[in-house]
Amino acid sequence: MPEMAEDDVLQKKKSHRDRHSGRKAEKKKAKSVHVQELTDRQKNPKAFTFNSAVRAERRFRRKQDIETKKQHIPLVDRTPVEPPPVIVAVVGPPKVGKTTLIQCLIKTFTRQPMTSLKGPITLVSGKKRRITLMECCNDINSMIDIAKIADLVLLLVDASFGFEMEIFEFLNICQVHGMPRVMGVLTHLDMLKNNKQLKKTKKTLKHRFWTEVYAGAKLFYLSGLLHGEYLRNEVKNLGRFISIMKFRPLVWRTTHPYIVADRLEDLTPPELIRQNPKVDRTVSLYGFVRGMALNKMSSIHIPGCGDLKIHDVSHLPDPCPLPDKLKKRSLVEKEKLIYAPFSGVGGIVYDKDAVYVELGGSHSHAHRETSDSRPEKALVSSLLDTQETLDVKMAQSELQLFTGTAPIVASDVAEKSVGLSEELISDSGRIRRRVVFPESSSNEDKHEETIENDSDEENLSDKSEDELESDSDSYIDSIAGSNSHDEVDTKRKSDTSDTKYRDALHIAEDCNQDKTNLYGKNEIKKRKLKSTVAEAEYKLLNVMDVDVDNSGNKEDICEEHGSVHDDVSSDEEPAKKLKLTTDVKENQCESYSYHDTGTDQDRQIHGKVSDLLLRLEMNKKHTENKKEDISHVKDAKTESVALKQEDQDTSLSHKWKCEPTFTLNNFSSDESCSDEEVDENSVKSLKEGDNELLSSNERESDRDSDTAQDVDSDTSGISDEEGPEESAVQWKTNLALKAADAFLERQSTTQNLWKLVYGNYNKFEREETEEELGSDSDENKDVGGLFQVVRRKQQHQQEERDAMNGVDCARFAVKLVRDWTDCKVREVIRDCFVTGKWKESEDAAELLQLDDDSSEEVFGDFEDLETGEKHTSKKENVKGTLEEGNCKEMTKDELQEKKRKLKEKFDAEYDDKDGGKTYYDELKQEVDQQAQLNRNEFEGLDDSIRIQLEGFRPGMYVRVEVEEVPCEIITNFDPTYPLILGGLLAGEENVGFVQVRIKKHRWYKKILKTRDPLIISLGWRRFQTLPIYSKLEDNLRHRMLKYTPEHVTCMAHFWGPITPQNTGFLAVQDVATRQPDFRIAATGSVVELDKSTQIMKKLKLIGSPFKIYKKTAFIRDMFSSTLEVAKFEGAKLRTVSGIRGQIKKAVSKPEGAFRATFEDKILLSDIVFCRTWYRVEVPKLYNPLTSLLLPAEQKNQWRGMKTVGQLKREKGMRSDPAMDSLYTPIERQPKVFQPLVIPRTLQKELPYKDKPKNRTRNGKKILESGRIAVIREPHEQRVASLMKMLKVSYSHKQKQQKAATKKRMEEHKKELEKEEIRKEKRHKELRKQVFRTLSKIDMKNKTKHKI
Amino acid sequence: MNNSMAGAKDNTLTLKGCNYLRQRLVLSTLSGKPVRIKEIRSQDDEPGLREFEVNLIRLLDKITNGSRIEVSETGTSLYYQPGLLHGGTLDHDCCKLKAIGYYLEVLVALGPFCKKALHITLKGVTNNQNDPSVDAFLSGAIPVLKKFLIVDDGLELKITKRGMAPEGGGEVVFKCPVRRQLKPIQLMDQGKVKRIRGVVYAVRVSPVISNRLVEAAKGVFLQFIPDVYIYTDHHRGNKSGKSPGFGITVVAETTTGVYYTAEAVSNPAGCGRLPSVPEEVGKEAAFLLLEEVYRGGCVDSTFQSFAALFMTMATKDISKCIMGPLSPYTIQFLRHLRVFFGHTFRLESHKKSEEEEELNTGANKVLVTCLGVGFMNLSKRVA
Repeated sequence: MPEMAEDDVLQKKKSHRDRHSGRKAEKKKAKSVHVQELTDRQKNPKAFTFNSAVRAERRFRRKQDIETKKQHIPLVDRTPVEPPPVIVAVVGPPKVGKTTLIQCLIKTFTRQPMTSLKGPITLVSGKKRRITLMECCNDINSMIDIAKIADLVLLLVDASFGFEMEIFEFLNICQVHGMPRVMGVLTHLDMLKNNKQLKKTKKTLKHRFWTEVYAGAKLFYLSGLLHGEYLRNEVKNLGRFISIMKFRPLVWRTTHPYIVADRLEDLTPPELIRQNPKVDRTVSLYGFVRGMALNKMSSIHIPGCGDLKIHDVSHLPDPCPLPDKLKKRSLVEKEKLIYAPFSGVGGIVYDKDAVYVELGGSHSHAHRETSDSRPEKALVSSLLDTQETLDVKMAQSELQLFTGTAPIVASDVAEKSVGLSEELISDSGRIRRRVVFPESSSNEDKHEETIENDSDEENLSDKSEDELESDSDSYIDSIAGSNSHDEVDTKRKSDTSDTKYRDALHIAEDCNQDKTNLYGKNEIKKRKLKSTVAEAEYKLLNVMDVDVDNSGNKEDICEEHGSVHDDVSSDEEPAKKLKLTTDVKENQCESYSYHDTGTDQDRQIHGKVSDLLLRLEMNKKHTENKKEDISHVKDAKTESVALKQEDQDTSLSHKWKCEPTFTLNNFSSDESCSDEEVDENSVKSLKEGDNELLSSNERESDRDSDTAQDVDSDTSGISDEEGPEESAVQWKTNLALKAADAFLERQSTTQNLWKLVYGNYNKFEREETEEELGSDSDENKDVGGLFQVVRRKQQHQQEERDAMNGVDCARFAVKLVRDWTDCKVREVIRDCFVTGKWKESEDAAELLQLDDDSSEEVFGDFEDLETGEKHTSKKENVKGTLEEGNCKEMTKDELQEKKRKLKEKFDAEYDDKDGGKTYYDELKQEVDQQAQLNRNEFEGLDDSIRIQLEGFRPGMYVRVEVEEVPCEIITNFDPTYPLILGGLLAGEENVGFVQVRIKKHRWYKKILKTRDPLIISLGWRRFQTLPIYSKLEDNLRHRMLKYTPEHVTCMAHFWGPITPQNTGFLAVQDVATRQPDFRIAATGSVVELDKSTQIMKKLKLIGSPFKIYKKTAFIRDMFSSTLEVAKFEGAKLRTVSGIRGQIKKAVSKPEGAFRATFEDKILLSDIVFCRTWYRVEVPKLYNPLTSLLLPAEQKNQWRGMKTVGQLKREKGMRSDPAMDSLYTPIERQPKVFQPLVIPRTLQKELPYKDKPKNRTRNGKKILESGRIAVIREPHEQRVASLMKMLKVSYSHKQKQQKAATKKRMEEHKKELEKEEIRKEKRHKELRKQVFRTLSKIDMKNKTKHKI
Repeated sequence: MNNSMAGAKDNTLTLKGCNYLRQRLVLSTLSGKPVRIKEIRSQDDEPGLREFEVNLIRLLDKITNGSRIEVSETGTSLYYQPGLLHGGTLDHDCCKLKAIGYYLEVLVALGPFCKKALHITLKGVTNNQNDPSVDAFLSGAIPVLKKFLIVDDGLELKITKRGMAPEGGGEVVFKCPVRRQLKPIQLMDQGKVKRIRGVVYAVRVSPVISNRLVEAAKGVFLQFIPDVYIYTDHHRGNKSGKSPGFGITVVAETTTGVYYTAEAVSNPAGCGRLPSVPEEVGKEAAFLLLEEVYRGGCVDSTFQSFAALFMTMATKDISKCIMGPLSPYTIQFLRHLRVFFGHTFRLESHKKSEEEEELNTGANKVLVTCLGVGFMNLSKRVA
């Protein structure tokens, strides 16, 4: 109909638009002026006056009630700064579109399609959010595991079908394990063709969903598929929702660390597997730490596998990092990372000990491949081969090389990778680089370092030769000289030095173990030196040797040596000290040079004695300096002194510099040996020492003077400018005090403290590794060396033993008590008392003065803004000068700061900000402060130290190594099943009796029976156990129940893992079969944990009396022996009729019979029973579900212990019940009572009313007995028979008449019916005719009309 | 799987030597890790556990439920598998070789983590020369514990009878409430000593002696601060134990509620040494207290380990405390914490602020920082 269409077009007219400006608009505006309406209060203020105090109070209360209801206990916010990816779990029954949804989401977030989805997929979803997508397969084990880790659940529902049982099961699981965010997603909406029905379905599903989750929970609609994908817009919206979702902290997860493994590597040596394919595996698992910081020491539980101990954890660079800068609004293509090793996506992965390349999948990888050059490919493939030679214990510093380079290029691999790369580069010029063997990677590291240092040194020394020729410093010369020697020479030299040392050893016989210890150290070092040819340490020794050669007095030196060390070790013997000083006088420089280097080493070896040594040294030096004239030192032996002090300086400074690495090594790798450290340290110190030497002579000389001054100032306090002899004496007297303080002194620096507490702890471990190392290099081991090693070991053992069995006392014993009556000593703690000086901010006098100053300042100095004049008070100037005079400079800032503090204090005390602070506010503030402190305390610390202090914090990507894992986890590995590492807290790895509050689920059809096996999911674990149900009675007794009650909670005890109280759990009866109904049998929470239980079962002992006296009865059959009776003496008894009694004593005759007394006489037919309680043992069955270890197709077929019922059903067994416990129909005989007999005597005394009335009985008798037979006369007989006959005939007639009438009536009725039928017939005819005629007329009329 | 370990692997810790036995047993109990201690005086003339150590193990057995203790035949090896702390009302006869303080240290450490509030009566030696006395606990350890418990509902230590060293006969009642979790603390200000108090006790000796002690001690203190008061606590008859002796415990209280304690006790009767001179004992105690003040910190040096323990046991939050120089016992305790809990402290030498720079406040202080392990009392029943 074209016309109609045209009409429509014509009818479409421009709609009306209101004028917004112009005359018309103004007019309209003027018409409708908005008048502010008065409120009721304004209209009628009187109505709102205060009129009832009671009501006002109520109002106030109500307000307070509402306010307080809103309050929650404030919790410390412990969310990490950089959180781990959010786990988004996609859950739903099969064939609902889970995989499709994940694929669509991945496509929207990363713009790359993923075909195979296996295991968790991590991707960057926004500038500040990463998500891990996981699909949950339709298996109750997976559902439980996923519910424990998911942050957000996308619950997929087939709208065309409606809710399925899995949805509700999953929701219930979630509720038990801490409700994550749940978002419903309706799919298959395109199956509903009818729009109305679609709307209705959506609404009903939404409301059902709301009742289950919470009213207003988000339900998403995916309207349909297009080319096998959901509509792009809808998925995008869903993605947006996901990436802005906020999460609530859940109790279990904020108190337990956990890792969802996204990678798994088998580290077991292939040889072992070849020998025994079922050997326990060593496995490394990778993932982000979540929840809480992970402690290296803690145990873990892998749900579906069991409890395991962490062998090692290391921190890896984030494989899927968030973008660094946040310049742009959206992510750049490059930043849209995806990481899913199980699905084969993620590109190159840098591990601690290997590099993994995933081929195919990631487009970024493809891009990289094209840019790669050929040798690197070869490298990569060779690296892949190295997987088997994994050296686990590698220094962690190696790892940190990678952290800076987040998107690592393959070229970096060539440089940085540890394994074979060095072989490739070794051609490029480094001559002395060794061939690397995988088993000695740690050694080689060290070598490399030293070599580098060497080369540096060489360079430096060369330079020094070139540039500093004019320099008179012999030290540099000597170094240069030593460097210029060829290797053979140096080797020879080392040999000579060896012999020298040995000589020294022999000569200095009186030296104690400490000294030999040191020698041992040197020996070991030398051996090492030989093996590594040119080490910096070596040079140091050489230098020393050169010096020694120069002086020529070897023996003296050696003696000197001995005495020095002797001195150091044997705590301050004054006589020796004196000897030492004289010795030192004789030949100073050598002793110094050696001594210093010696102590340098010593310090690194013996952290404990270091500071003490230093002090002593200082003292010695001082005395010596005094003795020597300064000029002598300066001209003749400047070099040596310079050398000495330089050495000392460097050793001092570098010690601290090296310290962090030292500690780091200590903690990161337990096996790092002390030798190595010493070497490194010394090398570093030497190297830097060179640098400093190079830098300037001036500085050196400065330092000389500095140290000299330091020494002076240090000792001046002690010696008080006395003569040398006197000072020596003084020094001796103070020595004891010094020794007492030495312990405290050692704690004066942070490094020392750390080392003191934790550093030495590793001493023994290091020792062991050292030994191993020694045995490795046994080619160079000479007898002397071996001897010394043993001695050292013995010495350590001795030390250990001494400490081991010492007296256990917490007291901090004071070695030497100061004389506190002495004025000077008193001064030391003068300000610890209130009578002493106070801090300026606390001192009352100061504060008062400050207050005055500030008030003056406010009024004393101002600027007139109108005139621009500046008025300054004169007072201030005066005061200023005064202050200057007092040398108390208080800058303006300081003053202000103090003022502010003062004001704060005042405010805090007196201010009442908006009605004062409530308790709740204070609590909140406290919590906030704590959160702030938590966040800031370790910020900026090095990661390696932070890990020590707080563990692997959430958000870190870690590699967890676990040993002795069942081999099935590898052989039957299926990435679609979640692999979770749940951290366990202290005590949670133990097993005990767990008491829970349990309620059978209202949707579960059956009730649960005590001692029937039940699968429980509690904490991280899933296990089968045998619970015993009980009811907590009012007297706190647990009474056993045979079955769980319906609709109410009861208690249950089972043997299971210790899990913190209030943790939720759920129970299922079976995970293998797919029952048609709801599978979750019960839910509840942990109440108490213990190692024993007290569940009681009611027990009734039944006996029967065999002899009864008045109130005493003898009862048998209750007990079987006299002993039993003895145990129950005094127990309460009761008969069935309710008579109470007590057990008295056993009787001898029938065994187990006893005498009892009752409150009344009992009957022989009475049953006597004794109510007691019987303790029920809880069976100790804890059977963790090993669903992960099952083969792939049987993963959901785990079968544990079966119930007795199941077994009987399977085997077709029927138990014959005890006959007496069968129910039989009760047949009750009517009770026949004996007639009541009242004794005659009693009857007599009764009043007439109550007397039995016997007359009626007598009367009846008379009546019956008085009845007489009637005998008629013949006449009377005839009359009677006639009458009878008449009666009979009459009645016969009557009968006949009745029958006749009945017949007539029937005939008449028939007649009438006939008549009726006829009538009807006639009527019908008539009506027929009438209608016919009528219709005829009608027809006529119609035809007429038509025509 | 009826063994007590859930996992297949045993996580028993193996340690050597009898020293620090208390630390080890306490930490083992709290961490739930079984411990095996070997080589207990294996080289000694009398190898194996001593009477007082066996007594300690008995005490632990009393306050725990389900512990398994195995001592080797020679007594040189001990295996302890901790149960759950039970607490409740108990009675214990302590060994006379050690003072009650030796046992009290274990009880103070474990008290807050029991199932039922601990109410224990300890009998034995209240004061001897080696161990911290009950008085020291009363004035030094209880305030430390109080700081962590926040509300001291039923925390009490009462000395009902006094008993000196060799024979004992003293009696002490210790009550401790239970907590599910401990709160972190930040003790950053040690304050200044505002008063000094003390107790002088003399049992089975002349009461004059106590006055002589007071005189001597007071004489030293008055050079620092005028607020000094030392009580005399003379016991008679039944309450005075079985051995004669006297001693003094002095306490310094600071403005911020930190208590330093020190004590000195006379030589026990029959020890072979000369009887002590009261003046010397008094002076010794005074000097020791001043030494303690010199060390300073927010915790008494004897009870540093308590502070460290409770800081560790606190919720997953930062705790900070300034301590005086760490005692060897504390250092070992920190090491043990690392062994049992994998828990490391951050130790820094405390730097004085500019204002404090010129004040003479004794030894260098140590700032001890740690993140609590988030320990939860697994024994306590929830409503």
